[in-house]
Amino acid sequence: MSEVLGDFIRALRAADVRVSTSESIDAGKVVDLVGFNDRVTLRSALSQVLAKSEDEKQAFTETFDTFFSFEQFKERSQAANENDERESREAEEGGGDGGGGDPSQSCSAAGSGGGGTGGEPQGDSSSANMDLAGLLERGDQAKLQMALAEGARQANLNRIRLFTQRGMFTRRIMEIMGLDGLNEEIERRETSGNEKGAERLMEAREELRGQVRDYVEKQLEIFTANSGRQLREEVLAQMRLSNVDRSDMKIMRELVRKMAKRLVALHSRRKKVARRGTLDVRRTIRANIEFDGLLFHTIWKRTKVDRPKVMAICDVSGSVAQVSRFLLMFLYSLQEVLPDVRSFAFSGNLGETTDLFKREKLEQALSEALRDFGGGSTDYGRALEDFESLAMNDIDHRTTVLILGDARSNYGDPRSDILKLVHARARRVIWLNPEPRSMWNSGDSEMRRLSPYCDKAVTCSSLKDLERVVSELLRSAV
Amino acid sequence: MTTDQHGATGDIDAIRKGFETRNYICNSHIATSIFLAEKLQKPLLVEGPPGVGKTELAKATAEMVGKPLIRLQCYEGLDEAKALYEWKYGKQLLYTQVLKEKLGDLMSGAHGLQESMARLHDFDDTFFSEEFLEPRPLLKALWQPEGAVLLIDEIDKSDDEFEAFLLELLSDYQISVPELGTIKARTTPIVFLTSNNTREIGDALKRRCLHLYIPFPDTGLEQRIIAARVPEMELRLRTQLVAFVQGLRQLDLKKLPAVSETIDWARTLVLLHARELDAELVRNTLNVLLKFQDDIDNVDGEVNALVSKAVQAG
Repeated sequence: MSEVLGDFIRALRAADVRVSTSESIDAGKVVDLVGFNDRVTLRSALSQVLAKSEDEKQAFTETFDTFFSFEQFKERSQAANENDERESREAEEGGGDGGGGDPSQSCSAAGSGGGGTGGEPQGDSSSANMDLAGLLERGDQAKLQMALAEGARQANLNRIRLFTQRGMFTRRIMEIMGLDGLNEEIERRETSGNEKGAERLMEAREELRGQVRDYVEKQLEIFTANSGRQLREEVLAQMRLSNVDRSDMKIMRELVRKMAKRLVALHSRRKKVARRGTLDVRRTIRANIEFDGLLFHTIWKRTKVDRPKVMAICDVSGSVAQVSRFLLMFLYSLQEVLPDVRSFAFSGNLGETTDLFKREKLEQALSEALRDFGGGSTDYGRALEDFESLAMNDIDHRTTVLILGDARSNYGDPRSDILKLVHARARRVIWLNPEPRSMWNSGDSEMRRLSPYCDKAVTCSSLKDLERVVSELLRSAV
Repeated sequence: MTTDQHGATGDIDAIRKGFETRNYICNSHIATSIFLAEKLQKPLLVEGPPGVGKTELAKATAEMVGKPLIRLQCYEGLDEAKALYEWKYGKQLLYTQVLKEKLGDLMSGAHGLQESMARLHDFDDTFFSEEFLEPRPLLKALWQPEGAVLLIDEIDKSDDEFEAFLLELLSDYQISVPELGTIKARTTPIVFLTSNNTREIGDALKRRCLHLYIPFPDTGLEQRIIAARVPEMELRLRTQLVAFVQGLRQLDLKKLPAVSETIDWARTLVLLHARELDAELVRNTLNVLLKFQDDIDNVDGEVNALVSKAVQAG
């Protein structure tokens, strides 16, 4: 497989496209079939082997376009087919030699416009350097581009990982391209009185430096753009939600969407569980007609695993509001696997927000819910009373009740008797508390009186916690 | 190498033209996928919204390469017995009865159980042989001597287990029948899998396939499709019609009209001898294009604006 392709696949992986080994082998075959000549065909062909979902296709197209873009030298270039030339050259370069050969040879090969057949070995490096000066003088952009790409290859630019490495790589590439010789040439001209020529070369040198720098920066972006984000996402997923900065909200939303998507993929198939021991008589007889009515092949009754009806009661006061926000975000991103979600928000009074979330966009609905029900001192007793009158009759054996709150009721009666009733009717009651367990029951927290009526009471303060809870909600929904 | 590459572009173009003569109009992206599927001998997983011509692609390919199309429609609960093979139980039962009758003749002269068993073993074991095998679509495709085009339609509707069971077929073009051993394809078939994305397809399956996503066509392509499928429609009406449908796809609808709906609508308008698009006509025939009452109600208010825009385009 050619080196260019290897680099490209590395760049794809950095852009969150999962490419397996067998897929990269396929990609190699595709390149052999299609070649580097026709950019559009190559792109559509590679996209079919390497990117296997809509999201990946998009990431693929973006990466392909940046990776195979050659704009630096374009503005001054006359050669229209410069791209093709470089692509095919790169292909041959990558496939042909395994990185062997000394710099001067490859450089001069590039300089003489060779097609990989290469010039005869040239011991001293001066000819290559002469070439750089010559190339700059002539303004041969296509060849310069080749020399740049070749230099980048030899400098192992594809290993660049850190922002601070830019300068070093720029210098190294310049050196490989023949910076020393160029400087000598400038000096020679200065001493020989050809000041105009020297100045011209100096200008060209600075311009080249800028171009090389741009190129290095672009490569840095290709190979590392995503690794920073991936790290950030990982950190954010484990951070306490109340500490998440406002500026990170965009990443957080994206993260919730991603997690929800993963959960949907995991749980979208309606599971069936065989109840071994109960014979499905009707279907068994039908299946055994072909055996002359002998009961040869038995079929057992199966139970479909039902999707849970979820009622989420969210405290939207103060510090809990942030966690509620993400819980609701989660639940409503799971429409496909949780079609029946009812949500309630409270701090003092409790109100149903199901319609609000159906009607409005998520962000809008969240802020409206916070405005309508947020603020005011929390009163779990009153909230549960309101919940009883609103929804108690709709709770049945398939309902899971999720309560999210810190159980700090400002020393009011938490009305645990209502929760007891809810517990008796519902399949499960799960309490999510954003505070760490050691803080429960301290001060005005009423966890001690409320938690006996929950099937489960867990701490839930980060996105990871939320994901775990929701995943469990989906899994054990029998 | 260079000649090969030109050959590739040429081949892709030839495929595109081949489709065109068979009234399947596509862009070079789709043609490329067929080219790759043929050359790499890999199955092609086609995804996209309903009605963009995923199934049609397989049909057109079968017609172009001149091989029979064998189609397997997936649904929940589809199992090997319906997809792969089944034993011909009736025949097997008859066979045992015949055997029972003949047994006396065969065993005459044999002394003792030992000898009878030995004699029985001398016969071929025909009970589980290809003679009693009833091939279902997948096996049929492997058995075709000249190869076939196998279409596994709407794979997303099938169960996970069925997906796993397909893996052997898709990577090695062979299947294992416990009683007989491995059956290999006589000629490698061209395999299409289609999916409407109602659920995520497993990674293992995706890895074995080429992946083609067919989106809604752009204006130019859709016009050419209509021109090929409904040739009796005049150019002006066709332009207007396509512009209208393209405008409709910009709206927020439950189900966007796909190419198949555009074709149906074009046929409807031709039947009605329409010469030009107007709001009245559109309102009366909108149910051909939109399949949800909600959508029809939503679009109702926009019809005038969309029609005037479309008429300008024409």
